[in-house]
Amino acid sequence: MKRALITGITGQDGSYLAELLIDKGYEVYGIIRRSSSFNTARIDHLYQDPHEWGVRLKLIYGDLNDSSSLNKIIQKVQPDEIYNLGAQSHVRVSFDIPEYTAEVTGLGTVRLLEAIRETGVKTKFYQASSSELFGKAKEIPQNENTPFYPRSPYAAAKAYAYYITVNYREAYNFFACNGILFNHESPRRGETFVTRKITKAVARIKYGLQDKLYLGNLEAKRDWGYARDYVGAMWLTLQQEEPDDYVIATGESHTVREFLEEAFGYLDMDWNDFVEIDPKYLRPTEVDLLLGDSSKARKKLRWEPKVTFKELVKMMVDHDLEEMGKQVFGTGTPANGRREKKIPILQTV
Amino acid sequence: MKTALITGITGQDGSYLAEFLLEKEYRVYGLIRRNNTINFERIAHIQNRIEFIQGDLLDQNSLVEALKISNPDEVYNLAGTSFIPACFDQPILAAESTAIGVTRLLEAIWTTKPDTKFYQSSSSEMFRGAIEVPQNENTPLSPQNHYGIAKAYAHWVTLFYRQNYNLFAASGICYNHESPHRGIEFLPRKVSDGVAKIKLGEAKHLTLGNLEARRDWGFAGDYVKAMWLMLQQDRPDTFIIATGLVHSVRDLVEIAFNYVGLDYRDYVISDPKYFRPDNKILLVGDYSKAYNILGWKPEVTFPKLIEMMVKADLERNGKAQT
Repeated sequence: MKRALITGITGQDGSYLAELLIDKGYEVYGIIRRSSSFNTARIDHLYQDPHEWGVRLKLIYGDLNDSSSLNKIIQKVQPDEIYNLGAQSHVRVSFDIPEYTAEVTGLGTVRLLEAIRETGVKTKFYQASSSELFGKAKEIPQNENTPFYPRSPYAAAKAYAYYITVNYREAYNFFACNGILFNHESPRRGETFVTRKITKAVARIKYGLQDKLYLGNLEAKRDWGYARDYVGAMWLTLQQEEPDDYVIATGESHTVREFLEEAFGYLDMDWNDFVEIDPKYLRPTEVDLLLGDSSKARKKLRWEPKVTFKELVKMMVDHDLEEMGKQVFGTGTPANGRREKKIPILQTV
Repeated sequence: MKTALITGITGQDGSYLAEFLLEKEYRVYGLIRRNNTINFERIAHIQNRIEFIQGDLLDQNSLVEALKISNPDEVYNLAGTSFIPACFDQPILAAESTAIGVTRLLEAIWTTKPDTKFYQSSSSEMFRGAIEVPQNENTPLSPQNHYGIAKAYAHWVTLFYRQNYNLFAASGICYNHESPHRGIEFLPRKVSDGVAKIKLGEAKHLTLGNLEARRDWGFAGDYVKAMWLMLQQDRPDTFIIATGLVHSVRDLVEIAFNYVGLDYRDYVISDPKYFRPDNKILLVGDYSKAYNILGWKPEVTFPKLIEMMVKADLERNGKAQT
């Protein structure tokens, strides 16, 4: 049985990837950050109490800020594949906590790579790189050869992580790959990201729980795909003969305004009646247009996105409507819309 | 109107303290760590009355910025890696947040707004290897694990800024304190949740470690009041906050099961796998200084505390069941 180790398993991508790998028969280990509150909502449905089941998902306390924890975990787990999805992943927030973002998103990657080198564990390594690397893009669309121009502390940290991954591949012959993923969304997207913020607001407005939605830049243009499609590309990246870097994107871009039209329009509402601009949500430096060219991945990985922009928006609105409906009509679902599941019992290293 | 800034506001103590200060008509700011998962479950009922600032004890300038934004009269530092087993898994991070984080915060106060009053949440874990019983403010520190060692550093650095920089920096050495807001990985909550699940037919038994282990357990709601009182004095000081009484795990489970009309002996399994090396001495606090100077004493008794927790977990689990 293959063993995979995932950082960022409690996040959107981590949860979809864990599902995919368990389906493929992997044993999955997830590193989770210590938090005094619940932070496993996205994977609770996968989790079963190890006291009762011989389960294939195990959670371990660890942190990208703590190299000792990473060394111990890699030594213990002896994974075949490592997926580094852990990061301070919010671009706007990275302007508030730049030092912390650099530690986790940037240095965290080299701590993992060093842990692999230090322990001598034979493992493949996937680094979650980001279209934010292209930032103020030098060309349209962007492919694997487009020069980077990071425009936020987040993107600068991701650029470091990208290059250090390439360096370990070249210097130490690591099977280390970058997936340069363009924006990918889903009903599990964090609620402070613009897409989910919109679809959640649409549902709340529909139920009369909210009457205004405050947003930043409506003209930002993004290439939005579906997260479940994208984790498939991550896995494929590590199943190749040779390690390489790939752009993963839909090749279609839309403005935030179009997202609004689609989301509100789906419920026959006009977004103009509800949306207001709050400068607090503007980034100090903006990235105007991101559009990915994923022809390399389509050719070599035989990967392609399945869910279209329209379907994605609809899926997210439907999901938020359903969750909100449960709350409004009081079907006993707690405020986060999910039933409390069994609490993960953590392995210690 | 007074203004307070709370770190660790999403945790047990932070939620009770925020509630308490809001009742006293404070303007309350909360420093929050970036988390992709919403983690406001303990403060959901008051979150609209709190102003949140994104920041991290690992990020120096975010703390300076938080002080500039909130311009607080009082800062309560309740943040840190608080679960001891997690400190063993990630000792460096635990030291970064629980120990060095305090220096970062004190430096930020000193350079930004030095007349701010500062409360540091210290812990009875600093006495883990002590040889006197009960412990008081003069008992020498003898931490014996990553958590206690980080807390000892934080305590000492708080004293240092009090003595050398003249900051109003108080330290409250709190013994174990529990509540319905306690994290489920901590023993008393594990028991109250387990009892509720058994009562509701969702679980058959409850596996615990050593039933004879004894602790000084108080109610978190009482303890946050002591924190506040420390910052209302004329001068900063160090205080032990405790109940002065100890109870065994066996007492705890007995009260919890009795409350729902069950006999704990039918359900509790004591598994040696969970036994922790026992202390040489008993951790129990002498709070007479807090009583004399702050006029503080614990209000909620141990049986009332456990019953309150079981009742809350019955409601919580019952709701999830429907």
